[in-house]
Amino acid sequence: MNPAQPSPKAGVKRDMEAVASLERDAELMLQVRDGDTASFGLLLERHRSPVVHFLYRMVQNQAVSEELAQEVFLRVYRSRATYEPTAKFTTWLFRIATHLALNWIRDGRKEKGQESLDENLIEGVERQVADRQPTIEQNLLYQVRLREVREAIEMLPAKQRAAVMMHKYEELEYSQIAKALNCSESAVKSLLFRAYESLRARLAHMA
Amino acid sequence: MECITRTKDGAEVLVEYCSGALNAARAAEIEKHIAACGACRTIVEAQRELWQALDGWTAPAVSEDFDARLYARIAREESAPSWKQWARRLLQPAIPVAIWKPAVSLAAVCAVLTVGLMVRTPDPSEQGSQTYIHEIHSEPVDIEQVANALDDLEMLTPGSAM
Repeated sequence: MNPAQPSPKAGVKRDMEAVASLERDAELMLQVRDGDTASFGLLLERHRSPVVHFLYRMVQNQAVSEELAQEVFLRVYRSRATYEPTAKFTTWLFRIATHLALNWIRDGRKEKGQESLDENLIEGVERQVADRQPTIEQNLLYQVRLREVREAIEMLPAKQRAAVMMHKYEELEYSQIAKALNCSESAVKSLLFRAYESLRARLAHMA
Repeated sequence: MECITRTKDGAEVLVEYCSGALNAARAAEIEKHIAACGACRTIVEAQRELWQALDGWTAPAVSEDFDARLYARIAREESAPSWKQWARRLLQPAIPVAIWKPAVSLAAVCAVLTVGLMVRTPDPSEQGSQTYIHEIHSEPVDIEQVANALDDLEMLTPGSAM
């Protein structure tokens, strides 16, 4: 996320693109409601990665994140007949995803997948090696930093974790995060503030 | 300008500033303050470093067969008997049950009160209508009974906790 304040023109352009994108999502979902399954494919293409990546960062297991993501899109497909664009499509999508992720975390199933967590880490490092040819020291440093970030995130309470994931990685607005978490916008700001404060304290030594 | 961290919601404003969520005028105000306030500058720098650290956490690519597996699940569901499809829609709603909680809770309260009134209402033919009305108005609501009913209902409702 770019910490620098955007110029007014860039901000307006970004807002217009965001509005067009949101309208396109609603339009596609209405077409799915009318029986156009190709539109569902387009929605899947647009939102597959963000949903899977959000769930991956929540549950920290690739297989589980894809399973949960499939359940998200399955529920969207099941609801097609009664879909009404009363809220932003992405808000609805992430509300379902957050609900499933929080349930999974609550049920404490992450311990069962802990072994694959390490396998994914190793795969990630191998991809890094293929792409950038880093030195061994850089690889080790990357592994250590990555593990610390993941552990710091994992130590956050589930709702704080979800708020950070949606705010930092998916760049959702406070109102969208509030709807996904079924709380007020001021509660979202409070969640984010406490989460970032905890993360800053835990990861300060990495600066 | 008073240090932002001393104001209500102060540190939250700094996070909003770092994420570019403030309008231009407010952002300029914050920038001017940060230039002069060491405490706020420390928080802003720490927040930016945190985001750099978080940026380093890239998620793995989605499996190539993700879509194929999803469509296979959809096909299996579509070919399932209709009673199964209805049961699934009932037990796994798209909208999390949490959004229905207020309506469910209200319905539960009404149900408990109705049952309570029906159970305790005496036979009018034996005690007369005046006594009947008196008993209804003097029947206290058992709060603990209502709370227990709500707890039971929540236990029965799938995925209600968030």
